[in-house]
Amino acid sequence: MDWNAHMRAAFVRASRPPDDEVIEELAQHARATFEAARADGSSEDEALRAVAALIERWQAEAAALHHRSRRPPTIEPPATAAASPFAGVIQDLRYAARLARRQPRHTLLTIVTMALGIGATTALFVVVYGVLWKPLPWPDAGRIVVLKETRGGNPPRFGAFTNAAYHAWRERPGTLEDLAAWSQRIVTISGGTAPERVRVTTATASLFKVLGARPLIGNLFEERDETTPVIVLSESLWRQRFGADPAAIGKGLQVDGRAHTIVGVLPDALGYPDRQSRAIVPFAVPAAAGNSLSVFNAIAVMRPGVSAAQAAAEGTARGRFAPDSGLTAEAVFGSRGPIEVTAVPLGDALTADVRLPLIVLLTAVGLLLVTATANVVSLQLARANTRGREMAIRAALGAGTARMTRQLLAESLLLCLAGGLLGVALTFLLQRSMTSLLPADFPRVDDLAINAAVIGFALVLTMGTGIACGLLPALHLRKGSLVVTLAGEGSAPAGGMHAGAARTRMAIMTAQVAIACVLLVGASLLGRSFLALLHADRGFDPESVLSARLTMPESLYPSAERRFALIEQILSRLRAMPGVADASFTSELPLTRGGSTAAFRMPSRNAGQEVVTVQASPRIVSAGYFSTIQMRTLAGRTFSDADTETAERVVVVNQSFARRYLGDAPVGAKIPIAGYATRDDASPSTTVIGVLDDVRYVSAQNPGSQPELFYSHRQMDRRLPVQTVTLLVRASDDPASVAGQIQSVIREADPQLVADVVLPLDQRLLTTLARPRLYSVLLGGFAGLAFLTAIIGLFGLLTYSVSQRSRELALRAALGAGRNDLLRLVLRQGLTVTAAGLAAGLLASIWLTGFLTTQLYGVAPHDAVTFAAVPCLLLVVGTLACVMPARRAASVDPVRILRGA
Amino acid sequence: MGITMLQRELKRGSTELLILALLEERDRHGYELARLIDERSRGRISFHAASLYPTLYRMEDKDLIEGRWLEKAGQRRRRYYRLTRAGRKALASQRTVWDQFFDALNRVAHIKPA
Repeated sequence: MDWNAHMRAAFVRASRPPDDEVIEELAQHARATFEAARADGSSEDEALRAVAALIERWQAEAAALHHRSRRPPTIEPPATAAASPFAGVIQDLRYAARLARRQPRHTLLTIVTMALGIGATTALFVVVYGVLWKPLPWPDAGRIVVLKETRGGNPPRFGAFTNAAYHAWRERPGTLEDLAAWSQRIVTISGGTAPERVRVTTATASLFKVLGARPLIGNLFEERDETTPVIVLSESLWRQRFGADPAAIGKGLQVDGRAHTIVGVLPDALGYPDRQSRAIVPFAVPAAAGNSLSVFNAIAVMRPGVSAAQAAAEGTARGRFAPDSGLTAEAVFGSRGPIEVTAVPLGDALTADVRLPLIVLLTAVGLLLVTATANVVSLQLARANTRGREMAIRAALGAGTARMTRQLLAESLLLCLAGGLLGVALTFLLQRSMTSLLPADFPRVDDLAINAAVIGFALVLTMGTGIACGLLPALHLRKGSLVVTLAGEGSAPAGGMHAGAARTRMAIMTAQVAIACVLLVGASLLGRSFLALLHADRGFDPESVLSARLTMPESLYPSAERRFALIEQILSRLRAMPGVADASFTSELPLTRGGSTAAFRMPSRNAGQEVVTVQASPRIVSAGYFSTIQMRTLAGRTFSDADTETAERVVVVNQSFARRYLGDAPVGAKIPIAGYATRDDASPSTTVIGVLDDVRYVSAQNPGSQPELFYSHRQMDRRLPVQTVTLLVRASDDPASVAGQIQSVIREADPQLVADVVLPLDQRLLTTLARPRLYSVLLGGFAGLAFLTAIIGLFGLLTYSVSQRSRELALRAALGAGRNDLLRLVLRQGLTVTAAGLAAGLLASIWLTGFLTTQLYGVAPHDAVTFAAVPCLLLVVGTLACVMPARRAASVDPVRILRGA
Repeated sequence: MGITMLQRELKRGSTELLILALLEERDRHGYELARLIDERSRGRISFHAASLYPTLYRMEDKDLIEGRWLEKAGQRRRRYYRLTRAGRKALASQRTVWDQFFDALNRVAHIKPA
């Protein structure tokens, strides 16, 4: 029964019905009467009759029931002394919950702010923990080191370790238990179901010992199996192709057309180097002999108690006994200097590239959390100010400081806990898409998970922010004097706020602006660097060019003649297709790592030097290659139809090659044939017919380009000496429609062949830019949020301060201050804070952007434009945030305010 | 003067005293005041709730008591009354007056206050 409504209805006919408060009071009396009657055993009818009689008498006295309460309703604070400390906490929390319900806007703002801050920080922590700190899955991971070899200080052009050093060390390893060689390639797997391209690891049998890996079923291959065609499947490939059937062991599988026997299945968790590797096939490290050099990656497990430095020293010493590989070493390392070996702990090596960016991002998101917390603290301080009287009275009634601090802590912890819960929920949502948001080549993406460590982190964060938000207002409470607070009610102090709280809020605000400034500077540097990478002049035009990697396995195409014929056939069909402007191929795509390299000697063009050792990357291309990707010809010409197998043998070089080795007149120069042997004639030299602009290997870490040589595939005597080529097609129409046609042309030519994903070349380039893009987008997002938080904070601070100073402002207006004077007064307060924050932020930025140096391309860490633009932006937006409160201050009506006070 | 009339006059004069005395113990709401007066006088002084609230409002206007809405954990908000400084003084002086009155009655008619 709604007693209030019942009572209101009873007085509806009265000439002057009582006020709402009287109605409510009478309604409660009526309800109590009814309940008492029922409790005494009266029937409901009897009880209602008693109430009706009561109401009847009130109706008679309606004229006397007029009254207006002079006090606003209050909430009874919890008792000062609780029976037990635990009961007190519960009481505090219940009071806090009721308070939160009564101020829904404040509560919502706090919870959402904290949820965003804690959610973003926790989400990033998931990545940082999974990638950098989560223990590696292999049993002896702490003792595993990644080995790298340099010669004369130079790393190899591709790979990391040579067979020469490998064998020299593995014969007598003192510091190592074992070492293993591995590399990765993409192969076509067929047999049973449709052929598919998968990434596999080729590795020595010792890899399993180094990793301490045990098979899920079957066996892992042994050293004696290294030359036999066996394969160890990853758990995921086994499930996918064999439905997790244990009978798969012993079955056959075609790898690039060659039959392999499945010997075992490796658990996904132990996959090396990551779970993207779908199988492991054996690799026998060739013996070091003569001029040949095999380059691969190497890892080792050290004996217990051995340090990485000791292992590296031993590797270097053993490497010195490795046989000299002559010009090949020159080609691979660009030096024949002494071997140096370095050993880096596996965890560090896996994540070396991403460690710094991740730490930078974690710091950035931490700063974002700080600004979010600062806003909440600022809000709490403002509230503590208005609640000063309540607190003072409670202190007067005997509540100790500790008691009231506990109360304030309970209030802020409750809000932050709600925010934290929402934040963790947000992280759960984000985590599903996180793996797909990260670049495909990001290390340890499979290790991202929300686990106890993450939840613990979120909890610590929540409690930390909760305590920070409650403790600061409590500290001010301590400082406040009872008499001052009680006496001060109704008249705001001159500064707009109680001086202590005001100073703290100004300091917080300054720090917020500083943090926003630092993050904006960092984000705009990374953003500009990314744009510079995107629009960098690479020496060619990737737009509308589709590319497809095609491998012609030796089992299907054992002869170079058959490969040549296949490529010719595919190219002529592609060129005939509608929507195709041009089609060509290259043995190696520009801007991809690895590839072939060659070294040879030739007469030097430089004075004082007779012979120069050339190190260059040879490429085999079809005649149309240069026009397909629109490389620029700087001098001479590129290949034409006249450059056939019977014509004079010619070569096109890039600018780096011409500059380094050919001097002023590159066109017409004779240089020896390098890399790919062609006709066995008596004069193994070619004539340089043209010089091309460099294709630049644009990245923050690796600027510059390599000397390159281009040979026409037509002059290879109808033999194609490589098994993998990249087809390039420039589309005249929509590239997407051409993509499918490329696949079908390849299928028609040979149904057993599968081309790797056909991607427009500019998109393939974008995948190489995935990391810089991720970093700049993330930092940009954090900076944007921090910026928004700071502006909201500034706006809130000024609005509050204006409302608190209304009396002072009205007095000033009454004493003759004009509208502009008042505007200026408030603007000055806001802009002082902004300017101080900017100064601190810029100073911090100068120091902090130094850490970004390795991530920046085409923009200096102390870029003047950025350092000028960010403060301008903050100043403009900061001023806008001040304008509204300032206008409100300027439009005060002194009469109304002074009279109302 | 009939008995009923005396009763009515006495009651009217004593109502304020009763309310002040009950509020001296602690803050109370209207229903509680009505119930306590009824209980403690064992039903002999039960004045109608109809006159309780006008009395309370009148006393509040005279600043003898102060009413305010309080919301206690787990309860609906209720209007509690408490004694003001003036109310405390009024209570003391009324007690003196009634003391003297009973003393006089006792001396004349041998009536002892309960």
